[in-house]
Amino acid sequence: MLRWIIAHIPSGYLFLQAAAVGLVPYGVSRVTAKVNAMAMFNPTMGESRFPEDEAGDPLTGKFDEDLAVFEQWIENYDDVGIRHFELGGDSGIRAVVIYAEGLSDRNVIHRQILQALMGGEFDVRSTGTLSEQVLRQLPVLKTKECGNIRQAIGQVLEGWAALIVDGVPEAIMLGAFKGVPRQMDEPESEGLIRGARVGFNENLHDNTAILRRFGENQSLFIQKMKVGRRAKRNMAIVYIEDVADPKIVEEVKSRIRRIDLDSVPESGYIEQMIEDSSLSPFPQIQSTERPDRVFGALMEGRVAILLAGTPFALIVPATLSMFLQSPEDYFERWLPGTMFRLLRFFALTVSLLAPSLYISFISFHPGLIPTKLAMSIIGSRVNVPFTALVEALILEVSIELLREAGLRLPKPIGPAMGIVGGLVIGEAAVQAGIVSPILVIVIAVTAISSFAIPHYNIGLSFRMLRFVSMFCAGVFGLFGVILFFLALCIHLVNLRSFGVLYAGPLVSYPFKDWKDFLIRAPLAAMKRRPKILKPKQPIRKG
Amino acid sequence: MNTGSNNQISTRQAIVILINYILAAGILTLPRTSAEKVGTTDVWLAVLIGGAIAIAAGSVMARLSDRYPGRTFFQYSTVVAGKWVGGIVSLAMIVYFIWISAFEVRTMAEVTSFFLLEGTPNWAIVIAFMWVGIYLVVGGIDPIARLFEIVLPITIIIFVLVTLLSMRIFEFQRLRPVLGLGFVPVLEGIKTTTLAFLGPEILLVITAFMKRPGAAIKVVVGGVAIAAAFYLATVILVIGGLSLDGARASTWPTIDLIRSFELQGLLLERFDSLLLTIWIMQIFSTFTITLYAAAKGASDLFKRGFKPFVYCFLPIIFLCAMMPKNINETFQMGDIIGNVALYLFGVVPLLFLGLSFMRRRRR
Repeated sequence: MLRWIIAHIPSGYLFLQAAAVGLVPYGVSRVTAKVNAMAMFNPTMGESRFPEDEAGDPLTGKFDEDLAVFEQWIENYDDVGIRHFELGGDSGIRAVVIYAEGLSDRNVIHRQILQALMGGEFDVRSTGTLSEQVLRQLPVLKTKECGNIRQAIGQVLEGWAALIVDGVPEAIMLGAFKGVPRQMDEPESEGLIRGARVGFNENLHDNTAILRRFGENQSLFIQKMKVGRRAKRNMAIVYIEDVADPKIVEEVKSRIRRIDLDSVPESGYIEQMIEDSSLSPFPQIQSTERPDRVFGALMEGRVAILLAGTPFALIVPATLSMFLQSPEDYFERWLPGTMFRLLRFFALTVSLLAPSLYISFISFHPGLIPTKLAMSIIGSRVNVPFTALVEALILEVSIELLREAGLRLPKPIGPAMGIVGGLVIGEAAVQAGIVSPILVIVIAVTAISSFAIPHYNIGLSFRMLRFVSMFCAGVFGLFGVILFFLALCIHLVNLRSFGVLYAGPLVSYPFKDWKDFLIRAPLAAMKRRPKILKPKQPIRKG
Repeated sequence: MNTGSNNQISTRQAIVILINYILAAGILTLPRTSAEKVGTTDVWLAVLIGGAIAIAAGSVMARLSDRYPGRTFFQYSTVVAGKWVGGIVSLAMIVYFIWISAFEVRTMAEVTSFFLLEGTPNWAIVIAFMWVGIYLVVGGIDPIARLFEIVLPITIIIFVLVTLLSMRIFEFQRLRPVLGLGFVPVLEGIKTTTLAFLGPEILLVITAFMKRPGAAIKVVVGGVAIAAAFYLATVILVIGGLSLDGARASTWPTIDLIRSFELQGLLLERFDSLLLTIWIMQIFSTFTITLYAAAKGASDLFKRGFKPFVYCFLPIIFLCAMMPKNINETFQMGDIIGNVALYLFGVVPLLFLGLSFMRRRRR
């Protein structure tokens, strides 16, 4: 027995490998933990993020002093105008309107503010305080009072007009915003054959209004917040109060409150600041320009985040299956909807695995494919001096280059790109013996499949992962592809978006959710909202 | 925020875990090992009896764990049998889980290097496999259960597809006669077939995480029955397709069965790649759940963190896996593990259950 054991004690080299087996994953886990901690949103930030908001110069109520402070402030803002006048034209009560050019509507200031106030009658002895009298005369929809010069200036820079009247202790803020109108065109990135030709635009109010137009719904809650420390921007959290899980809503709000950025130029900033795992290759928040997509998600119990100045709305929590769905699935009848959905899952698999399967079959297991096919592939590769991995990489990288270059080209040059790319890379590369024609077919099918994925950003994830799977195949063949697939699945089952499993109905088998996963069941059969979202009201009421 | 991650698994998930644990090396080797031992065409009968025994043994373990809800065997063993006996038995089980984990890895490496990756050294295959495995295990029982739920349907679909295809060369004649030499040969094969059903011992660990621990017996019956269906189909198809002698003569009879026919005109001509794919996934699940059980056991026994043990056990498993010098020694290692398991999980839980009843009564 002892001799047997001694005979089987492994060599020193094996001990070295054994140490590597344990230490490498440990090291990797430490590094990823570090990176995650670094990338995570800052949990120490409390509720009140901007202490300077509360500070500031209070209005004294003395007209000349206050005016001097205001003028000091706006000295450096050449786009802020100031207009002195007297109430009622000649009542002797001095007043000024401060407004920002371009942000405030000139017409409103002319007709509804200046005209009304200059033409009105004011008497110190008449009923009510002076500010009440002023408000009574003003045909302006939105008014409020502000007792702080700094805040008042801030609001002027947003588009409010500030009215300061001698004898009124507060500044009267008047809503005289000027919208920058843009057509609500159909979004170019998410076109549909059937469906409303409407997309979000850059105006927050327009965007929330579209959501309202989907039907009267008292429980559609729209709550506005501000993000950005230096450049504060309006944003809105939208959810249906009696459907969405309150835990998710609360989590969304608290994560947004914790955003600590100078400015938030686009909703992508919010997305990156509130996502669960920044190391994951998958987008954990859906971004879309389509109001129908947002509204559908709201009805399922998700939460939408709209940011002023961008047409891209965010939907949380996201699940993988969402990215493979299109509003059209629901607009068309259920049979074609189901078929196209299955087709997309197929396309996803092809776009992820086709090149790596080619590599593993050609360089490791030519015996597993039909003999004739193997012969023809190997025959066509006789002149190719590279291994299958290098060959596939050459073609795949050039396709990615073509795509990236084509994205930003002016439209007239587009066709020229196609000719250069298609002819030179396809035809000439084969003739020169750099790649085999079969591989060109494989890569072309892969590219077409990846175009069939309805979401741009999930397509990006799978484009990245395709390269990983190609390397796995290049090293371990089919075994490597299996390990890659397992690792991908492990990542997916670990991933959560706002507490909801990202792999969605694929795991934990809420079979009821499968009615809207691989297939799209008839509308009448989908009586329940997705269970994984834990909606307050699980049944869709007709 | 972790609203869903409560570290609990449903009854269905427990069944899936059990099936994935049971199905492992046996899919490829059971037809040979059982045919060698039984020697007649009644192998399928031995498989059925083996499954029944596994259900019996598993029920004992389920009942035992059921008495200590929310606790793993490693936590309550010292309560049942005292500090020393309980500690030693727990330690033995941890060692067992490490060994079986190593055995699975080695078998996987043997098959992979033989059929898929000629020329790639075993250690490279093993290391890559183990690194992917650890990614799953450190997440705990929750992700394990969820991954198994992805793996099992794939296994079932491909297995059914492949077995249906192998019906082309199936001849019922090869399965006859039934009980031609009486019942004695069947009895001789029972130990081998029972060992193919190693797996219910995982209940000693996972019952603690079940939402309804009372359903543990249901898990045993459901899990073993479904796994038995797999094994039964495998054994019958291999013997019906290759004949008894064919099954005895080949090292991996199931793969040889799939390799023995070709289909023209399809994308794939041979289907052993598909079978190997699901088989590697099954080995992967057995490897991860045993590694999990070992690390969980150690962390419960020594009341230390879970993750350090996972990282510590990896090199040990690697060394154990690399110890056998060739494939025959690997199979010998498997036999030893099986014999140990027979006592460790056939006899010990029964004693513990008795002890536990006595203790309860005394109180």
